[in-house]
Amino acid sequence: MANELRFLVVDDFSTMRRIVRNLLKESGYTEGDEAEDGVVALQKLRNSNFDFVVSDINMPNMNGFQLLSEIKKDEKLKHIPVLMVTAEARKEDIVLAAQSGAAGYIVKPFTKATLEDKVSLILTKLGLK
Amino acid sequence: MPADVHQSIGVLTRQLHDALNGLGLTDKVKGWAGEIPDAKSRLSYIARLTGEAAEKVLNRVDQAKAQHDHIAAETRRIGALIVKDPVAAVAKGHVMNFLTDVEAATQQVDQHLTEIMMAQDFHDLTGQVIAKVVTLVANVEEQLVQLLIQTAPADAVVKAPTPPAAAAELKPVLEGPVVCPEGNPDVVTGQSEVDDLLASLGF
Repeated sequence: MANELRFLVVDDFSTMRRIVRNLLKESGYTEGDEAEDGVVALQKLRNSNFDFVVSDINMPNMNGFQLLSEIKKDEKLKHIPVLMVTAEARKEDIVLAAQSGAAGYIVKPFTKATLEDKVSLILTKLGLK
Repeated sequence: MPADVHQSIGVLTRQLHDALNGLGLTDKVKGWAGEIPDAKSRLSYIARLTGEAAEKVLNRVDQAKAQHDHIAAETRRIGALIVKDPVAAVAKGHVMNFLTDVEAATQQVDQHLTEIMMAQDFHDLTGQVIAKVVTLVANVEEQLVQLLIQTAPADAVVKAPTPPAAAAELKPVLEGPVVCPEGNPDVVTGQSEVDDLLASLGF
């Protein structure tokens, strides 16, 4: 089940999108897509089926907080867990993300183990693993 | 330095000081002065991160190449044993040992490759910091141009150039990477602090 989950990786830096997608593949999550900002991510989420979103916060056009808000407002999307992976290290941002419905928060730079742990924890909580 | 030159510089400095005061720009100049150390910190952060990434990649490449060389040498040695006496090569465990070696080495090389990939995260982090420095420089440039226009003789005034659109676009909405987390209670310095904070709030 877990390996068939579809991940959407959202980050304005292509390098980071590749890193996150490769790490997910190494963990067995081979299905997914990527988006360079919140606007593109939202389009993809509405036009296709995804089970998990891994999103940066500081992005042009629509940042990660705005994307999270849009996802949680949308009846069809609000069940999708959103894991924030970001360089934003202010405590107020972390708290805001949690209060806005983020399923987890990872600060960059991070390790492979951290990403694996957080994804696994979220999937377990949701009964998807 | 000749005394008259020294005196001229003193007069110019006084005139500039008076002009800035008269135009109410003293505070702005103080602001620019405050931003320069910030830019220096950010550039130092970029230098440190890129240096660490390069070091990490080179170390991992060295280790991976050594393991690769070892496997290549072992492949030649086992190949020669098999050509010489295939039955003995298998019976004495040379082939099995070799296969075990290869499996272990490929796992280690895979870890090196993952670490090399992870080291590329400096691109994201430094990219965000560079964007902030570009914005800062653009702001200082714009204000210096304004100062130049406001202090220029009337017959030399030209229309102020419009700030480049790119600078405005690059202006980050959020803080981005924390360049100097030491002594700042408002930021976390690692993932464990994030986890502790969220746990303390019941998340």
